[in-house]
Amino acid sequence: MDILWAVLLMLVLAIGLACLIVLFSVIFHVEEDPRIDCVAKMLPGVNCGACGYAGCHDLADALVAKQVKKVTACKAGRKDKNFDPIIEYLKSTPGPDGSTVEVTM
Amino acid sequence: MEYVISFILAIISYMVIDNVILARYFGICSFIGVGNKIKSSIGMGLAVFFVTMMAALVCWPLYNFILVPAGMEYMETIVFILVIASLVQMVGFFIKKKSMSLYKTLGIYLPLITTNCAVLGVAESNMAFDFGRSMANALGTSLGFVLVIFIFACIRVKLEGSNLPKAFKGVPIALIVAGLMAIVFMGLGGMINLGTWGLI
Repeated sequence: MDILWAVLLMLVLAIGLACLIVLFSVIFHVEEDPRIDCVAKMLPGVNCGACGYAGCHDLADALVAKQVKKVTACKAGRKDKNFDPIIEYLKSTPGPDGSTVEVTM
Repeated sequence: MEYVISFILAIISYMVIDNVILARYFGICSFIGVGNKIKSSIGMGLAVFFVTMMAALVCWPLYNFILVPAGMEYMETIVFILVIASLVQMVGFFIKKKSMSLYKTLGIYLPLITTNCAVLGVAESNMAFDFGRSMANALGTSLGFVLVIFIFACIRVKLEGSNLPKAFKGVPIALIVAGLMAIVFMGLGGMINLGTWGLI
């Protein structure tokens, strides 16, 4: 029985905290370039840090900001699954200022 | 009056004598990692200050009014980690909204406050205290963290322009500076005898 109470306690606590976090994320919402999220979704999403950034979202940010020119900075990605769609997407989608980003392999 | 004096003495004691970084060796990761720029060190110090205070405020009632009556003291570590991780996430949202540049400077060290042992250490050591004493512990410890990381950043900024041997550049000299600071703070040991104020 003990373990059920422990699970129940964690469940209640986790749901409460999750609601608080959602509330905070809505209150302190920051508008950012929608391309960053799309590119982050196309990256492998393993957050390994091998590219030198803290996670896939940070690398996507750097790609869109033209700080990284080569999409192969990502060590975990594969050409057909990750790199080609990202190059295609960034070439065809203009940002808020109307310009597109050229990245290479 | 007696209680107020002992509260203030406990804060000073935790802040400088029993310092969280230099005497108890908690929170070294962010201390070395972020303590190379004054602005980022203040940002980190204030973030840790806020998370420590909030964690102490939430964890003490959680432990004493929920875990102890339910006989689930063994759950304390995982419950505290859950609370701290959520608080760090909220602080992250707040900093991202208020100062994007500070958010970028702190980088990976911001989510790493979750595993900053200074925060968990305060929450864990508070279990033996009453509420006032645990607040003094949290306040003193986090103020000590802010103080030490700020002094450390000032010294490191000064060191960047100095002519050091190549092998000492960067982290090695930072570790030596941290050691020297620990010796300096050790000189304050025994300044306040907590036993006479009934604090031990």
